[in-house]
Amino acid sequence: MREIYLSGYNNFVLPFMIGMIFVLSWCVIGAARIILQLTGEDRKKFFLSLINPKIMAKNVRDWFCDCLFHVKLWKRNMLLGYMHSSIAFGWFMLIVIGHIEVFLYTPQRVHQIWYPIFFRYFVAVTDSTMKGSFFFFLMDFFLLVILSGIILAIIKRARSRFFGMRRTTNPSITDLIGLYSLWCIFPLRLLAEGFTADISGGSFLTKSLNMVLHSFLSDQMNMLPTWWAYSIALGVFMCILPFSRYMHIPAEILLIPMRNAGIKVTHARKGYAKLQVYSCPSCGVCIDACPMSTVKANTKDTTVYLNRQIKRYNERRIEEISDKCLLCGKCTAVCPVGVQGDMMRIAQRSVRKYKLAPSYANIDENALLERCNKFVNTSNNTVTSDRNQRVMYFAGCMTSLTPSISKSTAAILQKAGIRFEIMDKDGGICCGRPMFMAGRIAQAKEMIEKNTAIIKASGADTLLLSCPICYKIFKEQYQLEGIEVIHHTEFFDRLIESGKITLNGSDTRYVYHDPCELGRGCGIYEQPRNVVRKAGELVEAEKHGKESICCGGSLGSLTLGFDKRKALTENALANLTIASPDTIVTACPLCRSTFNRYSDIPVKDIAEIVDEATRKKKR
Amino acid sequence: MKEIVVIIGGGIAGLEAASQLLKLGYSPIIVEKSDRLGGHVARWNRLFPDMTPAQDLVSELIASSKDANIFLNTEISFINRLKDSYNIMLSNGISIISKYILYTTGFRLFEAQKKEEYGYGIYNQVITNADLEHWFNTNKDDRISGKDIKSIGFVHCVGSRDEKARNSQCSKVCCITAIKQAIELKEKYPEAEIYCFYMDLRLFGKKFEDFYTKAQRDHGIHFIRGRVSEVSENINGQVIVKAEDTLAGKPLKVTLDLLVLMSGMVCNPDSTKSASMLSLPIDSDGFLKSSDNVFHITSSPRKGIYYAGACTGPKTVPETLAEARSAVLEIHSTITGEAR
Repeated sequence: MREIYLSGYNNFVLPFMIGMIFVLSWCVIGAARIILQLTGEDRKKFFLSLINPKIMAKNVRDWFCDCLFHVKLWKRNMLLGYMHSSIAFGWFMLIVIGHIEVFLYTPQRVHQIWYPIFFRYFVAVTDSTMKGSFFFFLMDFFLLVILSGIILAIIKRARSRFFGMRRTTNPSITDLIGLYSLWCIFPLRLLAEGFTADISGGSFLTKSLNMVLHSFLSDQMNMLPTWWAYSIALGVFMCILPFSRYMHIPAEILLIPMRNAGIKVTHARKGYAKLQVYSCPSCGVCIDACPMSTVKANTKDTTVYLNRQIKRYNERRIEEISDKCLLCGKCTAVCPVGVQGDMMRIAQRSVRKYKLAPSYANIDENALLERCNKFVNTSNNTVTSDRNQRVMYFAGCMTSLTPSISKSTAAILQKAGIRFEIMDKDGGICCGRPMFMAGRIAQAKEMIEKNTAIIKASGADTLLLSCPICYKIFKEQYQLEGIEVIHHTEFFDRLIESGKITLNGSDTRYVYHDPCELGRGCGIYEQPRNVVRKAGELVEAEKHGKESICCGGSLGSLTLGFDKRKALTENALANLTIASPDTIVTACPLCRSTFNRYSDIPVKDIAEIVDEATRKKKR
Repeated sequence: MKEIVVIIGGGIAGLEAASQLLKLGYSPIIVEKSDRLGGHVARWNRLFPDMTPAQDLVSELIASSKDANIFLNTEISFINRLKDSYNIMLSNGISIISKYILYTTGFRLFEAQKKEEYGYGIYNQVITNADLEHWFNTNKDDRISGKDIKSIGFVHCVGSRDEKARNSQCSKVCCITAIKQAIELKEKYPEAEIYCFYMDLRLFGKKFEDFYTKAQRDHGIHFIRGRVSEVSENINGQVIVKAEDTLAGKPLKVTLDLLVLMSGMVCNPDSTKSASMLSLPIDSDGFLKSSDNVFHITSSPRKGIYYAGACTGPKTVPETLAEARSAVLEIHSTITGEAR
């Protein structure tokens, strides 16, 4: 390779350089601000994670899998995955190979950051660099890959259904400018390199384009305007980037190590929350996922729009969107970037100012402790029975409203010969999760303290829950050392495994509904299915497991009325009954009563079917 | 030729309409799904406010409509519209062509097990208003008979005025029915304490208010304003009811030997089904929609189709009978108008 221009500079690099300097300084300042906004503890955690080889390895893997290959999108839809990864990975490879070329052929130009980008303009091919044709081929190949991605992107704008997306985001003006400049960059690059391919060399794409162009455009002066156009497209894209959805490209690079460091959303707008907002690529995967999107009016209340409104500081809409959400967590589960829609909303709710703040500090936990049966001998203060035999069953308020669940659970425990007591038989304190979901963390903490005191003093070694809403907060926010917190689905699975109860199977076709708080919330998918399989035939819903659809009854939403929830429940029921089951089984009292309101087929809790299946044996 | 009028439903509205049509010289045909006439009222024991035996009313109605064509155990297979009449195909294979159809399809009692927190079908001490009337009639119900009953509760508005139960309408008759049943139970168990848990008492009818005063003054029945939140069971086989006394502003817990749920009136899915064959409009509460709720409550938007009784919403017995007569009069004036 031989340089053509001594200076290695032409004015057309200016738009690119302006954009580059702008975006780099923006990102550096932004990253520094976000790191400074973290709490001291989180910041320490973050820096420590960067020197932890295990976490670093995970970071590198995630950078490649998430930012470049978009593995999560591939899993969702092949075409969608190809579209995103072809542009991201293709562009990445163009930059990498471009730099390799500069290093190999014109090492004196390494410090000129525009050089690798406009390499073909500045150099001419020589005989001695025929080996370079290997790089020429790679460059053309990746350019082709990107162009195919761009074509798909254009098709997707018109027909998103081909990409497995029913609805996509409505782009904002800056998004559109970014989008169109991005679409322009690569065809312009092809054109520019096509013009210079006879001098700088090229491969199958640029060389052939060069032949075509020369057949009717012999004037070499055409070259410069196309390079200018290419540079301007790059410049525009980079200047608009911080204000458009493409901010997710740099933001995600920081989001991944922070996520892997185990940082959580603590402040509603600052630090990690801000980073999540900027990491949102506005892809709109959450729109189809959101159970509220069944009603078209709700599509603007999905996570992607929450992020957009947070960017715009539109407080009225932020409040509306955060309060409406059911907190089912499905947007978090499907998000290719890892924006935590549910956490973000709880954080928004937690900064709300209320005129009234109820206090639960005056609840007398000792009186409640008196009333609940304990495993402690009052005379000598020792526990009354062996370890693993002191099960405390906390039914919770939802189970108290669906008494057949607590009745069945108690019956099963009796049959299995487990020594148990019911903690809230004669009234109890709420687990705190509803308050936590409403963003009233201080109130939730008060309840957590009271309940912790009762449980610890009761001498129990296992806390059994039949409500996933309680289960989640007991698992995550309570400090109950030495006491196992277990959901009844897990407990039944264990009882069956250990042979303490035997289920008599039937030929009833059951479909299992994953409650949000149990599945996505606590990651329990298999145990309930094991139990159901023992009781009858298990069929699956169209969307299940991680993608299960909220029943519509969630406590998470603060503003959705009953009339508005009907369509959501009916949609969830249609999804569940796709394999025409005889009975719907769930493991949440709230899902059960919500479905019961609209279902044509019986809806039962897993405790009820286990109780029935064990009862048959005795006859 | 005598004009045929098809009456769908052999409850009190259908029977009264048939007897009036017979008097006017028409030929009514009653199509009844079950194997007996009289509908819900036939299963009731006594009617408020005069404690008239329900059986007397039903027998009288059956006697006066005995000349009508009555098909028991028969359902509507389909109805289709002809040029100026309707073709009604019955499940027994008979098809009727008539210009006039009167819907007297009535209501259905809310399924109390849907309000699971009240424990119907789960606890043995929980019954519904219909179960209680059945016991008054037959004295056969293991949940009541042969027990030492010392305390009884009534829960008003079970499945009515309740969005969670998908019914926001008031069932009208439950307040007064609860008072009636409370008095009747008090007469049978003079020692028992009786509590009525209500949201507010809607005692709109003739002598209803007197009945309420009597229940408090003469029978010592306790009225507690507040909805029941949940019901649980204790070891002695009693139910524990948790509620809030909103007048005292305090939570409340009572242990009861018997709990009666006042199941409300909800729309009859059968009437909705046949209405859809004629694309008759359904109101937001699920009941059939009259062409006007003030002036034309017995007429539908379709020519020749009339409504009477609880198919358009909860009604009392006298209201139902009055509507049956008014619908018949409307049919009569239409027929004579056309003949002229």
